[in-house]
Parts: sequence; structure tokens; C-alpha cells
Amino acid sequence: MLLEISHLTKSFGSFTAVDDLSFSVKEGEVYGFLGQNGAGKSTTIRVILSLIRPTKGSINIFGMSIEKEREKILQQVGAVVEKPDLYRYMTGYENLNVFARLSNKNISKAEVMKCLEMVGLDKRANDPVRVYSQGMKQRLGIAVSLVHNPSLIILDEPTNGLDPQGIADIRNLILMLSKEQKKTVLVSSHLLTEMEQVADSMVIINKGKKLVEGRVNELLNPDKVQLEIITDNNALVKSLLANSGWAKGLRNSPDQKVLVDTTAEAVPLLAKYLIEQNIGISSLRSMNSLEAYFLSLTSGNEVE
Amino acid sequence: MRLSSIVYIELYKIFRKPRTYIAFGAIAAIVGLIQLGFYADGESYMKFGMQSLSDSFDVNGNIMNGYLMAFIILQTLLVHVPLLIALVAGDMISGEANQGTLRLLLTKPVSRANLITGKFIASSIYTIVLLLWMAVWALAISILIFGADDMLIMKSDMVTQILASDVMWRYVAAFVFAALAMLAVSALSFFLSIFAENSIGPIMATMSIIIVFTILNTLDLPIFNMVKPYLFTSHMLGWKGFFDVTVNENNEQITGSVENLPAVLLSAGVLFLHIIGFLFASILVFKRKDILS
Repeated sequence: MLLEISHLTKSFGSFTAVDDLSFSVKEGEVYGFLGQNGAGKSTTIRVILSLIRPTKGSINIFGMSIEKEREKILQQVGAVVEKPDLYRYMTGYENLNVFARLSNKNISKAEVMKCLEMVGLDKRANDPVRVYSQGMKQRLGIAVSLVHNPSLIILDEPTNGLDPQGIADIRNLILMLSKEQKKTVLVSSHLLTEMEQVADSMVIINKGKKLVEGRVNELLNPDKVQLEIITDNNALVKSLLANSGWAKGLRNSPDQKVLVDTTAEAVPLLAKYLIEQNIGISSLRSMNSLEAYFLSLTSGNEVE
Repeated sequence: MRLSSIVYIELYKIFRKPRTYIAFGAIAAIVGLIQLGFYADGESYMKFGMQSLSDSFDVNGNIMNGYLMAFIILQTLLVHVPLLIALVAGDMISGEANQGTLRLLLTKPVSRANLITGKFIASSIYTIVLLLWMAVWALAISILIFGADDMLIMKSDMVTQILASDVMWRYVAAFVFAALAMLAVSALSFFLSIFAENSIGPIMATMSIIIVFTILNTLDLPIFNMVKPYLFTSHMLGWKGFFDVTVNENNEQITGSVENLPAVLLSAGVLFLHIIGFLFASILVFKRKDILS
């Protein structure tokens, strides 16, 4: 394992931001770190990077403890924590050059420019950062994390505040780093759809605790779906579906929707059956199981 | 990572920031104004100051010269320079925390102790460069404008005359001492900067501490007299000691002498200890600090 987090706890006074969290990242994979805002993702990333000290637990990167071998480890790690704040009074090139010099490696001007080219900022290299858009700052931040050619890249919410094109650019960059340059990437987000498209494995946390961890293709099992139905007679729908054999789980959401656990093949049959029973359907939405699970977390309702 | 590289990077950052040049501009403007004022109206000012003296002595030569000007400027300005020093030193850590660049800096393979030491050295170099700038304006330009001659220093109970040939080394020593005093201010401001997430706090706190300590110095109460020798502000004006000359039994000044050198050296030692103390305290606190900005 390239990164191993074991029973990590971080408390600030009586508030526990990260609670007995354990997960591990394999070499070469894109690992999604998912959780709603305030779930403890950034705190965990700060502990991984030794910006804050853990209350309990241990972190090993490249087989070394971050507490004991911080500088040695950080030579091989590139990271952007939360929003990439840079020196506004310097140009993009100057910013990247300053951070390149701090990386303890001899990095030439050509390599700095190549890095700027990789994130599409080579033509704006000599503009002061204060005139950069949010997306440009985000890309420059990623360039700072890449300039010393690290093996592990940690990106904390890299698409925050970006427009759809910016999000797609970052996604493609992460995929390129993983597939072409064989980097290991730990990327945090509060958006499942984003993780689905780039991550090989992921962990979901809530209130500092791990909820689920695994390979994305296993977690996002396309056969298991959850239907969210809005009808003119929920009580009748529940009684019909309870006896239909298609529903493996059935309940009401707090906002008066019927939630049905079923399989992908059963969805059209189930919809046809309800129409035949003269049920007025206003909305019928199919979600895969993980998406449903995640949404239930973000809306604050645990799945039964 | 080599400390020299960190110092280089930190100096680069200091001198790329527009606020750095406020202090240089302010010193040039204030010194220039004082020089202009004395150039235009210095004669009458000196006549008024020398009134009681000229009744008893025959005073000849260029009294209003560059050396005296430099003394007046130093005496006036060194009280205010701490604010200009704190502008940069108080921003060294808090400014980075405020901008959010501190967390990005600490994701790089730089030890916290080295980073703090590098930043401290860089802010000290800035302080010394600022004093050199002040020396150029206060001394070199004053000599260019007003010329050089023996230096008369008027005190409440006596007048000291220092030969022109005996003055320059005293200024060099005075500026070295002033550098120590300003480095103590810089070190305090730097230390306070670790606790804050914007630079206003450390700048204000530094000035408040200097003001409170200076007031304590002026109060002649036994309870305060006990602590006064340990306050760095009690020693900041020790540079003036280089202009107190020893006289022999014939009341003739001894060239190259300093009346109370041990007191001057003691003051320098106290200031030096404060600088080292603030640096070590900064390293200790910063090594344990959670970076939450």
C-alpha cells in the first residue's frame, strides 16, 4: 500500500472531526475520498500532510510514518489543500518557481514551463495571479502540486468553484496523470458523479467516520437500484409493491416519496404495473444503490 | 532543504511585495523633510539653541553640519521605525496564513524549524537594509548637504564636542547598535505573527507592547524599577552611549573613548538575548502549531 491510514482520530476540544478512520490507497490508482461538506475530508488530508497532528492513529506513506519522516515523504508528494491560494503579487511562473525551489529538487525553467503547459497556463505564465480566474488558480495550484514530479498527488476538492468546462479539464488531467504518468492520486470531493468518472476505488465518510470503502465498479453495482416515486396515492403504491415481488425494500422518505429497492430489469415492469393499476405517477427516478446511499447521507436521512 | 535557499526565497517574496517599499519611502520622505526644514530655517533654530552657550563661549565653525543632522534625525526617527519594521516582520507568518499560502508552503519538504529560521533571517535582513537606507539618508546625504565638522551635542546639563575625525566610527557603532534594537522589535513582531491570521494583529500588538514598556520606563516606581532592566525597550536608545565621550583630568575629551562602554555593551547583550529568545520561542510554537488557515 502506498498510503495507509490507521484508526485516525482528530479532535478539536470536544469536537471530533475525524473518528477512528482507516483506509488505504494502492500504488497507481485514483482513490476517491467522498463525503459531504464538513464530513472531515480536509481535516484528514491536513493530517496526512502533517499540517495538523492527529489525536490518535497513524499514517504511513511509502511505508514511512509521516510523523517521523515528514520531509522525506513530502519530497514525493504533491498536494493542494482546499482552495489553491497563491501569491497574488507574483506571476503564475514566479509562483510555480518559488514552490519548485522549495521542493528540494533541481527543477529547470523548462520543466516549470512544461508544467504550466500541462495545465494550460503557459500562455498566461507572466500574468500576475491576481488577474487569474478561479479556474486558472485551481490549475496553477495543481501545477504547484505536480512541478516536482511526485509519486502521490493529493487534491482536495479540485473542482470547487469551477464551471462545467473547468470541471471536465480537471477530470481529464487527473485521468491523464493516472493513466499516462502512472501517478497515484487521492482526490476528495462531495460529488459522487465526479468520483464515479475518475476513481478506481473510494471511501465515503460522514461526520468523520468511514461508511463504506471499496472498488468503484463494485460499489456502483448497476444491478441494484433505488426508485424514488412520487404518486397521487402513496399508501396504495406501497401496498401494491409489497405484494408484487419486485420490491426488496420499501419505505417513505420524509418528503413523501416512496423509495423502492429493486433491480435494474424490474424498473420498466414496475412502472408499467403501476400505470395499469391507474396510479397517477408524477415522477419516477432511478438511482443506483451507492448514489441513493450517498444522497440519503447528504440529505441527512440514513437508509433503513 | 538548505537554509540559504529558504532565505533567498523569503527575501524574494519580501521584495516583491509592494508594502515592503512603504518603509523605504516613508524614511526617505521624513528625512528629506527634516533636511529641507533645517536647510531652509536651520540657522535661526541653531541660534535659538545656542543662545545660552554663546553668552559664555565663542562658538565658531559649521555647527549645523551633517553629523549633527544625523544625530537629530536618528533621535527623532528611531522611535517610529519599529512600526515600519513591524509592517514586514508582523506579516511574515500571519500574512501567509491570511493568504492561505502557509498550508501550501508546508506541503513542501521543508522542516518547520528551517522555514521559521529562514523567514526570521529574511526579515532580519530587511530590517538591516532598512537601517542602511536610513543611514544613507540621515548621514551620507546630510553630510553632502550640510558638510562635516566637529559635532556639538547639547544635553540638559552639558555640551559635548566631538572632533570631526572622531565621529564616523561612532555612527557606525550607533547604527550597529540600532540594528540590534530594531532586530529585537522585528523578532517580537515575528513571534507574534505566528499566533495571528492577519498582519494587523501582530503589528498593533508590537506597537502596544513598545508603548506600554516605554511608559513603564518613564514611571519611577519601585515595583516597575525591578523589571525595567529586563525590558528590551529600556535598552533601545543605548546607541546614544557612543556619543558620550570620556574626558581626562584637564577636562579634555579622549579621542575614541566611550564614557560608559560596559553599560552600552550590557544593553546590546540584553537586546541580543531578546532576539535569540524570540527566535527560539517562534520555532517551538510553530513546530507544534496546527495549520488550520
